[in-house]
Amino acid sequence: MGKILMKGNEAIGEAAIRAGCLNYFAYPITPQSEVSEYLSHRMPEAGGVFLQGESEVAVGYMVFGAAACGERVFTTSSSPGISLMSEAISYIAGAQCPAVFVNIMRGGPGLGGILPSQADYFQATKGGGHGDYRLLVMAPASVQEAVEMVMTAFPLAEKYRNPVMILGDGLIGQMMEPVEFPEHLKAEPSNKDDWATNGMDTRKSTKKNIVKSLFLDPVVLNQNNLTLKEKYNRMKREDVMWESYNTDDEYKLLIVSYGTMSRVCKTAVDNMKEEGIEVGMIRPKTLFPFPEKAVFEAASKNSCKMVLSIEMSMGQMVEDVERCIHGKRPVEWYGSCGGDVPTPEEIMDVVKSYL
Amino acid sequence: MDIQLEGIVVIVGNYGSGKTEISVNLAVEKKLAGVDVSIADLDLVNLYFRTREARKQLNNLGIEVILPPERYLQADLVILAPAVSGLIRNPRHLTILDVGGDKTGARVLAALGDAFKGRAYRMLQVINPYRPFTDTLKGCIEIKEGIEKVSGMRISGIIGNANLINDTTIDIINKGYEFVSMVSNNTGLSLEFITIPSLLSGKVDMKRFSCPVLTLRRQLVPPWIKTDLF
Repeated sequence: MGKILMKGNEAIGEAAIRAGCLNYFAYPITPQSEVSEYLSHRMPEAGGVFLQGESEVAVGYMVFGAAACGERVFTTSSSPGISLMSEAISYIAGAQCPAVFVNIMRGGPGLGGILPSQADYFQATKGGGHGDYRLLVMAPASVQEAVEMVMTAFPLAEKYRNPVMILGDGLIGQMMEPVEFPEHLKAEPSNKDDWATNGMDTRKSTKKNIVKSLFLDPVVLNQNNLTLKEKYNRMKREDVMWESYNTDDEYKLLIVSYGTMSRVCKTAVDNMKEEGIEVGMIRPKTLFPFPEKAVFEAASKNSCKMVLSIEMSMGQMVEDVERCIHGKRPVEWYGSCGGDVPTPEEIMDVVKSYL
Repeated sequence: MDIQLEGIVVIVGNYGSGKTEISVNLAVEKKLAGVDVSIADLDLVNLYFRTREARKQLNNLGIEVILPPERYLQADLVILAPAVSGLIRNPRHLTILDVGGDKTGARVLAALGDAFKGRAYRMLQVINPYRPFTDTLKGCIEIKEGIEKVSGMRISGIIGNANLINDTTIDIINKGYEFVSMVSNNTGLSLEFITIPSLLSGKVDMKRFSCPVLTLRRQLVPPWIKTDLF
């Protein structure tokens, strides 16, 4: 099959089906409702299940239930909906089940607005729900990348038995771009007989499994948390993803930016290059694990005098940027989060003001 | 070959088929040809990338744009401008109604039933064969019937919009033309015109087409891409 033209939200839904996920539970919210709209046609066609829950709280636990039974499962929502799901996400992480959550972010806090935002960075990377857990968080910058990340998310969730989150802003969901669905990303189902409550009839083992996040014995609970911690350390070793842009030249300033904001920054970097101004950029593709080493090394380049974190929030990722630079270079933030995406010209003015 | 359209032209189709880009470009082409044009945004479904985004350019060209009041432009539940029914009752030489996607988007037309009563109109279905659900004849007919059922109105023609944005090639234009010709032959709907993106302007063999061609200048762009100015 060749390329087709898809809206990000539709492509996310199709990518999940292509990745072999036939369980989808959701509750509508702008700007991600087209995922559900699309899958209401496509899931039955593909032989899968789409059920609209009575709320995001219910949806979170539908995901938990399906995941506990060893089914590939995902849901999509937008910021306030993800807040409601956060309790279930914590339970799923504590019980070590694989599941995929897609957050097409809108402006917050509260009901905020319906336009693009990246203000859920903290929620996605630092928690949101309670307890010592982490999500593997991927942030696409194009519709094609959203497809590839969704398709990769399922095997990654199964590799770690941990929820994976795709964090896109409203534009990722709403814009249209040509896409294709790479055959090589189609993952075979993994064997879950060791832990899932997938029914004794269909299993190759006689082991009886219990899926739970309640561990009243302090020693056992501590051990569960140590197991989780080791998983998160393994994510840092094995699954950090980023893109370097214009970092071979002698740049004075390094931009760190992700998602659609990074596409605005790329245009700004290209325009400034034409004017003879070199600016480097690191685009984290995973937000957790954060590309700490890549950012540190790019910032440490002799020519580089400072680092600018550009994000559609009031300054969230900038804290991770500061953390991994260890004070070696000054770090500044620029952004907005009302819904108006900064333009390339605006970014150029800000960069030039520091040079 | 010029596009022969006047009076009330209602543009419908599935989500993302290109209705708004076509409405805006058609309005500009006709205005530049000296036609008195108005355009109304009837999209109550989609909240991003709408006619309103192009309003400045349209206003500068002297095209009347009917939008909900400014203070409601970012409302979560979008609003139909009361001026729309007035426009249907007293249309300009060419009045373009840009309707939302699928049958859900076409529901707004039922609400305008009184204004349409007894009035002539052309309702045209935009088809991009490179979009999901309209890559087959069956899919195109399902969309058509769904829209006709909820709107209580009849589609009379189609607009071929084979398009992969920047990845559109001459081959895609040619194959798209063959596809919409096939749909036209099978449904009896007239093929009103097809589109080609401005980047392929002058590169396509126009003799292949037995219908008019509208050149599309992309207006609804993300913030890192420049609008293709008229």
